[in-house]
Amino acid sequence: MNKIATPAKTKTPSSEELALIEKFLNDTTLFLGPDPEIMQNHDLMPRSAVEDEAIGRMSDAHTIAKIRDRIQAGCDEGYEMVEQMGAAPGAKWGDVITGVYSASGDLAIASAGGVLLFSALVHHPIKFIIKNWLNDPTVGVREGDGFIHNDSRYGNVHNTDQSMILPIFHDGKLVCWVASTVHEGENGAIEPGGMPSMAESPSDEGLKMCPFKVVENYEIKRDLLTFLQNSVREPKLQYEDMKVKLYACLRIKQRIVETLGTDGPDALVSTLRLTMENVRTEVKRRVSEWPDMTVRTYVIQDSTLRENCVVKVNCKLTKTGDRLIFDFRGSAPEFTNRPTNTIVAGLKGMLSQLFLCYVWPDLPRGQAAFAPIEVITDPHSIMNCSYDAPNSQSLMSIFTGFTAGQHAVAKFLYSCPEKYTKVHAPTFNMINTFIWGGVSQHGETLGNLCADLNGMGAGATVDRDGEHALAPIFATMADIGEQELNEEDVPFLQLVSKKMTRDAIAPGKYRGGQGYTMMVATKDSDQWGFMTTCQGAKIPPMQGLFGGYACGTYPLAKIRGVDVYDVLLETPEKFRHSIEELMNERPFEGASYTTHHMGMGFEISKRGELFMISQGAGAGYGDLLERDPAGVVRDIEEGLISPGVAERLYKVKFDPATLAIDHQATATARDAERKARLARGVPYAEFVKTWNKPTPPAHLQYFGCWGEDIDKLYMGSAERFRTGSEPKPNYMPNPKDVRIAELEARLAALDALGGEKQ
Amino acid sequence: MRRVSVDIGGTFTDCFVVWDGKYIEAKALTTHHNLALGFNEALGKAYRDLGLELEEILAQVDSVRYATTLGTNALIEHKGPRIGMLVTAGYEATVPLSRARGYGEGLDILGQQDLPNAQRPDPLVLPHMIRGVRERVDFQGDLVMPLDENDVRAQIRELVDRGAEIIVVALVNSVVNPAHEQRIEEILLEEYPSHLLGAIPVVLSHQVAGRKGEYVRASSAIVDGYLHSTMYHALSALEQNLRAHRYEQPMLVIHNSGGMAQLNSTDALQTIHSGPVSGIGASEHLAMQCGLGNVVATDMGGTSYDIGIVVEGGIKHYDFNPVIDRWLVSVPMVHLVTLGSGGGSIASYDRMYDTVKCGPESAGSDPGPACYDRGGMRPTVTDADLLLGYLDPQNYAGGSIPLNPRRAAAAVEDTLCDELDCSVIEAALLIREKVDDNMANGLFTELRARGYDPKDFTMLAYGGNGPLHCCGIAQNLSIDKILAPPFSSVFSAVGAGNLHQLHIHETSLYMVLYDSNSRRLFDDYVRFNDIVADLKERGTQDLLRQGMAREDIHHSLELDMRYGNQLVQTTAVIPRHEVRGPADVLAIIEQFSEDYGKRFGKGSQAPEAGIRINTIRVAAFVRHETVQFEDIKPLPAERRKSPPPPSSTRTCHFVGHAGAFETPVWSRAAIEPGMQIAGPAIIASEVTTFLVNPGWNFVAARQGASWFLRA
Repeated sequence: MNKIATPAKTKTPSSEELALIEKFLNDTTLFLGPDPEIMQNHDLMPRSAVEDEAIGRMSDAHTIAKIRDRIQAGCDEGYEMVEQMGAAPGAKWGDVITGVYSASGDLAIASAGGVLLFSALVHHPIKFIIKNWLNDPTVGVREGDGFIHNDSRYGNVHNTDQSMILPIFHDGKLVCWVASTVHEGENGAIEPGGMPSMAESPSDEGLKMCPFKVVENYEIKRDLLTFLQNSVREPKLQYEDMKVKLYACLRIKQRIVETLGTDGPDALVSTLRLTMENVRTEVKRRVSEWPDMTVRTYVIQDSTLRENCVVKVNCKLTKTGDRLIFDFRGSAPEFTNRPTNTIVAGLKGMLSQLFLCYVWPDLPRGQAAFAPIEVITDPHSIMNCSYDAPNSQSLMSIFTGFTAGQHAVAKFLYSCPEKYTKVHAPTFNMINTFIWGGVSQHGETLGNLCADLNGMGAGATVDRDGEHALAPIFATMADIGEQELNEEDVPFLQLVSKKMTRDAIAPGKYRGGQGYTMMVATKDSDQWGFMTTCQGAKIPPMQGLFGGYACGTYPLAKIRGVDVYDVLLETPEKFRHSIEELMNERPFEGASYTTHHMGMGFEISKRGELFMISQGAGAGYGDLLERDPAGVVRDIEEGLISPGVAERLYKVKFDPATLAIDHQATATARDAERKARLARGVPYAEFVKTWNKPTPPAHLQYFGCWGEDIDKLYMGSAERFRTGSEPKPNYMPNPKDVRIAELEARLAALDALGGEKQ
Repeated sequence: MRRVSVDIGGTFTDCFVVWDGKYIEAKALTTHHNLALGFNEALGKAYRDLGLELEEILAQVDSVRYATTLGTNALIEHKGPRIGMLVTAGYEATVPLSRARGYGEGLDILGQQDLPNAQRPDPLVLPHMIRGVRERVDFQGDLVMPLDENDVRAQIRELVDRGAEIIVVALVNSVVNPAHEQRIEEILLEEYPSHLLGAIPVVLSHQVAGRKGEYVRASSAIVDGYLHSTMYHALSALEQNLRAHRYEQPMLVIHNSGGMAQLNSTDALQTIHSGPVSGIGASEHLAMQCGLGNVVATDMGGTSYDIGIVVEGGIKHYDFNPVIDRWLVSVPMVHLVTLGSGGGSIASYDRMYDTVKCGPESAGSDPGPACYDRGGMRPTVTDADLLLGYLDPQNYAGGSIPLNPRRAAAAVEDTLCDELDCSVIEAALLIREKVDDNMANGLFTELRARGYDPKDFTMLAYGGNGPLHCCGIAQNLSIDKILAPPFSSVFSAVGAGNLHQLHIHETSLYMVLYDSNSRRLFDDYVRFNDIVADLKERGTQDLLRQGMAREDIHHSLELDMRYGNQLVQTTAVIPRHEVRGPADVLAIIEQFSEDYGKRFGKGSQAPEAGIRINTIRVAAFVRHETVQFEDIKPLPAERRKSPPPPSSTRTCHFVGHAGAFETPVWSRAAIEPGMQIAGPAIIASEVTTFLVNPGWNFVAARQGASWFLRA
């Protein structure tokens, strides 16, 4: 680590002594780990002297706009190259970003396509290189060099994302950096696919590349490449995509070099700096238009992916003047041996995504768009985990953190006079998809995931229903892919691929966009398995808006002890194309039918066994009794809801045969329900008195603050807690040990019973 | 040669007649209720020029060829039948979900980024008109679940009861095993025989698109089914009109593949965008005949800027999954990029960067630019062009639209001048610079993404605003030569007259040329050769059916290939159509490597990861006689003549040049081939304005061709 405080118990050291200590420490650094000075800061670096001088010489807004457009086009070109040439599924669905960074390491201009949250995250490793390698005689940064990076503790979301970073020089001086980042998937972790939910420490999370030089003279060094290939399950992927990222960077570099040739280094430096400063100023201006107020909200995570529990994401959003402050204090303490923690930069990245996609979609992408917004967290919490905590499933916390932010921001937007998009309810936020791995029908070792994670349902808006399976919360124009193409590469079929899941809804005056069913079964491999890594099987991971409901819950269902491919050929009439029918009717004799939470660790699947999940719905908006009855009936017609739900929830009366609406009866039923609501209601003070409890319930493992006191963080029971500022280990027992203990207790009880009988 | 070619656009029907060495251009308004009327009127202008009767012309021409935007318009207007659809059970939501990203297909980047406002377009098939049938085959075409015929009959009845007027069938993996789709067609014919009232047309997806991808293929089949009757009736009416006027040859329809075929060999889907594609065809032909080298064809109109690439050596650029209106489809279409920049692009103040933004919003033609005086209050590119002195307020669009400079000035002043603290002229210059930069950036990206350097290209500029903006665009790209082509006002119709009869057949497959795991080269030569032979024969049969002689039929072979598990499929044109040994396999790999390296950079190839063929494609074609352009190259500088005195002067302002220029103005008709005019200058014609920026020369050539050459 960098500076370590030297306790001086006897006397305060003099400045000379301090200098000596500092020199000694600098000369004897054991290990250059993640630097909190870099990792905790998401704002722009201060304007450098070189930038100041360049701006002094060239600051014409119109010329700068012209150069910026040219560099933007270069980034887009690089992005297209990565998307087209990349071998990782992530590259193909746009889980990619390319960008140009200032000489100080800030991301100034990013590709228009791709994953937005990267725009607030990929500057950290560059700053690490600048701080540690630039002047290190054993490393150095020279023309033709390229650095690779994937360890999220040095920046980025999780270790599946790999970046290639190239410095650009002009007349021997470093003028900027270019980088491309791709969600690669496989990284040699204890489970295939790069996002192990079984990881209990960073050592289980596969490749941990702090930024290091892997390219010299624009050539990838073969020895290092071989080492990296040797460390992962997909050496082919590692090779292909390192090359792809390098060539995309080189293409962007070409554009920069042309700009340097036509406009000179001052114009380039000035363009990069002023672009960021202008965006930052605009964000401050927009924030200042919001009403001064505070909104409090929370989201519940219902598991650690290993066990069921209740984990709080606490969020208070305050706007005052031109300051906007996200306060996540009170959220659950970090799990010492569970990977659902996130580094704080990951959380900030997702919040940046929120603003760039859901609040101000017209803003240019780059680090500056989130730079002036403040974020407060407890140290060593799930929202700001320590260096020693695993974070390979950080998506669980950054996505729920995003949703808490989205829910709070909606209330500001509602009251804001100038809107840049529609007020909307939260988007579905979990990656309900299958992660897979093993040996394919072509003999290749693979590990990755289905693109269905991109089909998250959109929240309803102020004036219409949410779109089904619209986009993941972390990208626009993402793709859920074509099964015919996937099946060429992997040895399983999606027997149900895209069929709307009936009643998996988020009702409201405007309902959320709904999710669809996926059923997979391995077919042509003896070495293949699946995993799922989501929360929300027991508690919805979001809230509805202004009376709209949250989504339903989505468990994992399995049917084992059957070869469904034999059934499909020999007795096809037994097969059903919905989870509901298969699990209720149980048509395959002798098979086992089970449901689970969505944190399934990697599990080898036998041929023909069924794994079934559903993509989720975005939240509803407004009171569902105000929903147009015609919309309710259309939902029945399109297989989104059952007639029973229409009657029970929406109170719509209709002829079940023709679906003709009885408007009079509907109005009567709705009036009756409104009266019933009034009858059920109690005054607020009375409600608080009966509802509030002093401590979390004893029968649930609860993590996070309880009630108003955000400084007391519970760690699984009313008896275990810590303060927000004083970290403590928070170990979870191995679920297998827990199960063994349960079974042993039952055996003991049976023994005791048996003893009595005997 | 005697030939008629027509481009039926949304506003005008353009006609180009070749008659024994004479070339006649004619235009008429498109008559949407009966396309034949507009066609007859346009052709009437031409035959009167020739002193002939309509029947005399039609009886003697070798062909009449149509390019049309009819299909595009029908899609935009959402006029089509009620479609019922059968898909593999478990895939019922594939089309409604449109791969998630369908909400943004066909939108600009802002529309794609704004997720709370995202909304999928109104569907061509309503969700409740899509039914699953119980069946399944796998990626190799092996049976997974047999087709449940009783289920099929029940689902068909359900769709018919719900009012289906046409049935589209799109089953998973039907391109590798179409048996279930074919059986469904048989069942449909059994239930609703074609000779009886109540017969229902059926479209099978594997017959519309030969590539894998269940969504894009279904989407293609839907668009095809949706347009089928509209296109059939409109084109049949045209054919009947020809017959009634003694035309006895088959009517030919231009395809977006860059070829053409008879009506009975044309899918509706193949006609979409055939007009702009014909323009690229004309560019290719012109480049080849006149030795222009690489050409980038640009068509700037009121709302859009179309870009097409034609390179020496015959490499074709296709989009295999183009977006048509808002729909992603699977059809090999000549590559065409459309940017949202045109005369109607709206300029606004960019508060964040304290400069001017231009587009993507457009004032279109209604209300149009502020200077049209039709209620438009926001400044547009045309307003800037007017204020900078380039346009004649009284003679714009042949005098059909009087322009009001005061309205233009007010719009610019109200929107930009206070914010930017500048004069109206300075603001207009910023608008002009911005829009030209936007187009230059789009063009640059387009060329560079394919591995080309803009400075190696000649720019072809056509469309109403092309010659007005081309110098400004080329200035930013290091392009030194711009050609406003001959017959530019009917350029797409010219292209339609030059295309060959062509059919493309392709098949998706999993064929490993080099297996990096086993380190083995492909050796199943029989399989490769059989597939190629089959595709060739299918194309041959298409052409034989249209009366072509077998000996006139040629084929070209293209392979879509990739390294490892990439998404990209680089197309390699393979001269040798048969593989007999390792040398042939290595030759294919070498060709692929060369094309890939050109596109993505030398050294970017990754054969170590394995090499695969994903698609084999064969184009079968018959070459026809083509329009002969005269030598339109500019005369050498020393042989160029001076122009006559200008007819007038106008005060103009130019980007990058301080102050006003008293700019001479000529009529295009007064400029003879070989004359050179140094910029700044304006040369006006009825259909466009040729703006020669300072530092450029205008050189007139034969057949109305006009060159802009950097001085």
